[in-house]
Amino acid sequence: MKVEISRRRFLQGSVALSIIGGTSIGATSLLSDENEHGEMRIMTRTTNTKAQKVPFLCGMCVNKCAGVARVEKGVVVKLDPNPYFPKSRNMLCPRGNAGIQTLYDPDRLKYPLVRVGNRGDGKYKRVSWDEAYDAILNGTDKFKGLLQILDEEKDNRSTIGYCNGEGLSKEGFEELMGLKIGTPNYVDEISICLETVLGGYSATIGAYGEADMNNADYVIIAGANRAEAIITPDTMDMFKRSKGRGLKTIVLDPRFTNTAAKADRWYAINPGTDLAFVLALTYVVFSENLYDKEFAKKYLIGYEDYKNHVIKNSYTPQWAEKITNIPADEIYKTAREFMSSEHPIYYQGRRSVFAKNDFQLRRAQAIFQGLSGNLDKKGGIIYGKKLALPKEDVNSPMYAQAQDRFDKEGIAIFAGKTGSWIVFRNMVLEGKNPYPVRAMFMRKHNPMAGVPNTKKTEEFLKKMDLNVMIDILPSDTTMFCDVILPEASYLERTSPVASYGFLEPAIVQRRAAIKPMFESKTPEVIYKELAEKLTEPLWKNSLKYDEDVQDDTKGMKVDELAKYYKENGFDLTEPWEKSVEELNKERVVKAFGEEAWNTLEEKGVYYPNMDKYHKQLNPNEYQYYPEDKKNYTTKGDKLKVVVNFKNLAKKGVDPMPTWHDEWAFKVPDGQFRLVTGRHAQFTQSGTTNNMALRDLIPTNYIWINKREAKKRGIEFGDMLEVKSSVGKVHIKAYPTEKIAPNMIFMLHGFGGSSKEMEMAYGKGGNDASIIEDKIEPVYGAAVMHETNVEIRKV
Amino acid sequence: MANYGMALDYKNCINCKACEVACKEENGVQLGADKHRIWVGVKEIEGLWPNLSIASSTFEPSQCQQCENAPCQEVCPTKATHYTKDGVVMVDADKCILCSYCMEACPYDARYVKEDTMTVDKCTFCSDTRLLRGETTTACQATCPTKVRTFGDLDDPNSEISILLAHREHRTLKTHLGTKPKLFYLI
Amino acid sequence: MFVLAEKGMKIIERFIPMRHTDIRELLNFKKTPLNLLVAFTTLVFLVLFVVGATNYLIHGHHAYGVTREHPWGLMIAMYIFFVVSSTGLCIMSAIGHVFEVEVLEPFAKRAIHGALVTLLSGFIVIFLEIGHPLKMMIYNTISPGLTSAIWGMGVLYSLYLIFIVIEFFFLLRHDHKWAKRFGIFGLVVGVAAHSNLGAVFGFLVARPVANGIYYPLYFILSAMVTGCYLIFLMYGFKYKLNFPPEMQKTLVATAKILGLLLAILLFFEIWRMLTAIYGGMEDRAETALHILKSSPFLVGEILLGIVIPFLVILLSNGKAIKTMVFASLGGMVGIFFMRYDLVHDTQLYPMQTLKLREYQLPPTFIEYFPSTTEIFIALGAIGIAITLYYIGDKILYLETDPD
Repeated sequence: MKVEISRRRFLQGSVALSIIGGTSIGATSLLSDENEHGEMRIMTRTTNTKAQKVPFLCGMCVNKCAGVARVEKGVVVKLDPNPYFPKSRNMLCPRGNAGIQTLYDPDRLKYPLVRVGNRGDGKYKRVSWDEAYDAILNGTDKFKGLLQILDEEKDNRSTIGYCNGEGLSKEGFEELMGLKIGTPNYVDEISICLETVLGGYSATIGAYGEADMNNADYVIIAGANRAEAIITPDTMDMFKRSKGRGLKTIVLDPRFTNTAAKADRWYAINPGTDLAFVLALTYVVFSENLYDKEFAKKYLIGYEDYKNHVIKNSYTPQWAEKITNIPADEIYKTAREFMSSEHPIYYQGRRSVFAKNDFQLRRAQAIFQGLSGNLDKKGGIIYGKKLALPKEDVNSPMYAQAQDRFDKEGIAIFAGKTGSWIVFRNMVLEGKNPYPVRAMFMRKHNPMAGVPNTKKTEEFLKKMDLNVMIDILPSDTTMFCDVILPEASYLERTSPVASYGFLEPAIVQRRAAIKPMFESKTPEVIYKELAEKLTEPLWKNSLKYDEDVQDDTKGMKVDELAKYYKENGFDLTEPWEKSVEELNKERVVKAFGEEAWNTLEEKGVYYPNMDKYHKQLNPNEYQYYPEDKKNYTTKGDKLKVVVNFKNLAKKGVDPMPTWHDEWAFKVPDGQFRLVTGRHAQFTQSGTTNNMALRDLIPTNYIWINKREAKKRGIEFGDMLEVKSSVGKVHIKAYPTEKIAPNMIFMLHGFGGSSKEMEMAYGKGGNDASIIEDKIEPVYGAAVMHETNVEIRKV
Repeated sequence: MANYGMALDYKNCINCKACEVACKEENGVQLGADKHRIWVGVKEIEGLWPNLSIASSTFEPSQCQQCENAPCQEVCPTKATHYTKDGVVMVDADKCILCSYCMEACPYDARYVKEDTMTVDKCTFCSDTRLLRGETTTACQATCPTKVRTFGDLDDPNSEISILLAHREHRTLKTHLGTKPKLFYLI
Repeated sequence: MFVLAEKGMKIIERFIPMRHTDIRELLNFKKTPLNLLVAFTTLVFLVLFVVGATNYLIHGHHAYGVTREHPWGLMIAMYIFFVVSSTGLCIMSAIGHVFEVEVLEPFAKRAIHGALVTLLSGFIVIFLEIGHPLKMMIYNTISPGLTSAIWGMGVLYSLYLIFIVIEFFFLLRHDHKWAKRFGIFGLVVGVAAHSNLGAVFGFLVARPVANGIYYPLYFILSAMVTGCYLIFLMYGFKYKLNFPPEMQKTLVATAKILGLLLAILLFFEIWRMLTAIYGGMEDRAETALHILKSSPFLVGEILLGIVIPFLVILLSNGKAIKTMVFASLGGMVGIFFMRYDLVHDTQLYPMQTLKLREYQLPPTFIEYFPSTTEIFIALGAIGIAITLYYIGDKILYLETDPD
């Protein structure tokens, strides 16, 4: 990016880091050097000096573990786990530890930028915040402003699309864009992530729930990789008791993951055929009458229909063996073991949608769990409780000109607020949108790397008149934006207080460890300032085109008009009248009192009776709640498992999980099925510029079966071209026996195209650019594992 | 005066390498693939897909073994490598002449060259960082998601580590070399 | 500078007889093609040394190909190459002038000169290997690590240097009584220092292929072999293969001793390999087999270093001394590989046998190849040795009796 202060001068140039001179390296706690390729490396070291300890919530992934930042002389030198939070139980994963490198990433967005070149060529001008907001409103000679667009669209607010990645400040952005500015066209990570698992479980057992891994004695983990996709407390609890220590662990995965390495048994299931496996398990359970009959009678609605359905369709293990690649005997054994265990769990898993049948798979899993009766009880899937925090309503205006969202093509159940990324994007590209979509407001979201078919995403972004990005790093997507607003990273901001439920509920707060660096601002401040800039001009635009507003305000005097504007929510700034800090205090004091607030400020965590309940048991473990205070059973008689979901049939969705032959796993000769996934050291594209994590995995590789590689003369490190119907990538080969001969695997998030992310640029391959943009039929969520590819050595 | 050691419930390890990053941040270990004080190792898996040997892919978290009879200390010509009063093997950077003999002698590949001082560096059990500040855990122990490590005083019969070692079977690495490692792998 | 050096030499001349004290005389030599070739090569080597050493001083160990897994490289090998040569020459010299084996006496002085020159070259190399050589001198003294073979080696070699300097001093003054006394000291300390160098490797319990009694013994044996080769080379060059009758006798005797030494060395090598391989211990046997299959070992150490010279001696009954000069040249190449392999092979088997990263091949034998800087300094050190030798040869009386 052509801004005044170059990357190399990053450390010296920063006020916050002015203690780092060229001469004092080694004497200070923040060290930098360059490796032999001239890449900057930044490391910290703790010292014995007095330090502040600031509780924070990790922002390196969605899990939100609690930590304590050690701050020495204004420098965050170490992130330690916070022992007070029952969810993350005194731990930080490698990404959590490497948060410092994200904070001090030399490639961070430091100033507001406005595009002066063509989209994608990386030419930007450093501007003041006000100039940046002004560019959003009024445009420049290179792009149109929001006001002109809304004027041309006659105040149809739906001409604006917006998207946002997961996080504590996400709600505020939705308030600004959706509730206040008034567009329904919102897409986020849900439709490229775990939509069907949330939907399937909610539709079946009423919630996603939490697996009580501390007390379970048998677990089937299928298509989840808890050793590498870390979720607390599941990951911690699971692997302390696996390997013959109380938790029998059955892992199903097409490739041998680190989770498989911890299993008692691993089944190399064919991609997309888990449903057949669960149906076969269910078949065994029904045909051998292994289920909890009393429980079923009481809570499983329509289970007899399902029994008939499964038996009638002969979903036998022998049938499933052909589909899944798991021997029938093993399916029998697993079903019998599961049902004879005291606390068996078919682990829900939470991941992207891999196959088109994922919604049904989740339903089948949830029902299977229900058949064991191990629901809403210790050692099973529990519902738990949440500590309630008061919420202030947003006074949302009504815009007569705004139109409904349209991204419903090919979708059975429209999920509402979050929509479908693929359908939304593709309909706009194909001109199927009933009204123009002309602007994208984006925050902390990188669809270029996250949404299948990068080429289409690029075209989509290029089609917009105005793209705005709020983020901390110049991601691939950022490079197609017109105005870039630098956000403070999670360690530089206090975030809205959050409440975590389930077994051991608690309130948590992320406090800013240091002030926002450079000219970055916290998201809430950005929302506020943007609202301040937009509110008057946009209001005038409504007055100009909105007939309802015109009718309501006809003949009003100036002060009456001002009152109308306030009372009907047209004042966009209203949700940000108070700062995050003030609001947090207000909400917590209101709900739990002053004492609770003090505890929360000091420890980062609060729950009632924490001072009494919280105890250190040994150097590694803590008690958060005494055993009798944990929320193992909360549903009681309200518990309900919807087995035969008749309403679904009306929408064209199977009311009971049913296998369709078109779902069989098929790979044409000479091709490979592409599967993607995670390692514990990376979250998504957002963490791939982190130099401490890069140290652990410098680039992604393509897993290819050793024997298959040998046949093709491919050796470790050879560069391969991987080609699908939508694109191709170049990526190095990693021959391994941990994957089937007709499959390949690549780690998600790599292959960045933004040259401004120096560590990530050009390293490895971007899976999104070769995954075909297919959707599953229920919610329109992206399907990640249904792409076949060809490979060749280059 | 203590005699520090570490017990590793290594079957808990999920090879996430949080310990490696935490160690680097805490102790200012430079980035670079060969600059680690601590690591998790795994063997290349045995067997052919789909019949793979799960047992062959056990994760082995490790670091300097803080040997009671440390070959690196024996071979140091300037006593730069020494035992602290708490039984920790440390390198005095002032005395280290970078002859690299200790790197030759260490059976565990636990030593590397620290580039800013150009001296040999290694795991210190956080003696000069966390322990100095009165903390009772090492960075690797504190951060571990599955709580593999228990650090403590082997001479204190009431310490968690002593109790663990008294009750659980354990082994050490390359025991036959007579180095008397103080990293104990719980079975 | 010249003036100062000449003044210095004039002072030295008061104590020891010298051939020339005129510095300019140093640059005068017969411009034969061979001499010119050697002079040119030496000059190139010296330039390479300056380039290599400068690069090292700027970049430190980054300029070397050494790694965490292979911390010792060509510099250590070169150091050993030189100090082994030194010890070898010292021992060979002692046989003549200390133990008064008359037939070997003629080369006593030249051999000690060679010992001094190679020792100094070795010291120069090690100074460019040790990360903090000045700190070494301080802390070796005030904080001695008595259990360290490197410490012992350092002390003993320092003493050795002092003794052979004095020995050389008396030899040049024809004070045979004192030369002999210091010769004994030098010999004892030199052998001690040198076997200690063997122990630097022999003490490595972690590295079974080096661990044990073998290297300390082998070092003394191969040192003597090296001494013999160097005597052949020094005299071969001095007389341009036209040996006077007296010298022929000496060299034939040397060859015979060498033959015996080579036989023992070969015997050593065979049993080293057999004991390492027998039993199939993973780290030891696999490493030994790996070494057995490597060409530096087969071609360098065995063929050039032992077998060819041995055959020349065996087939000619030690009389083919002209051929021996060429065989010795090959022999020294072989000896170099012995030193290189010694260092490299010790580090072959990885101490870390597990994969630490997903995307890597499982660790196997550690690879190492010297960097350009290392190669420059190594060649440069040879250049320095030749230069020092040439200067000594030019200004001192290196034969038994001055002309």
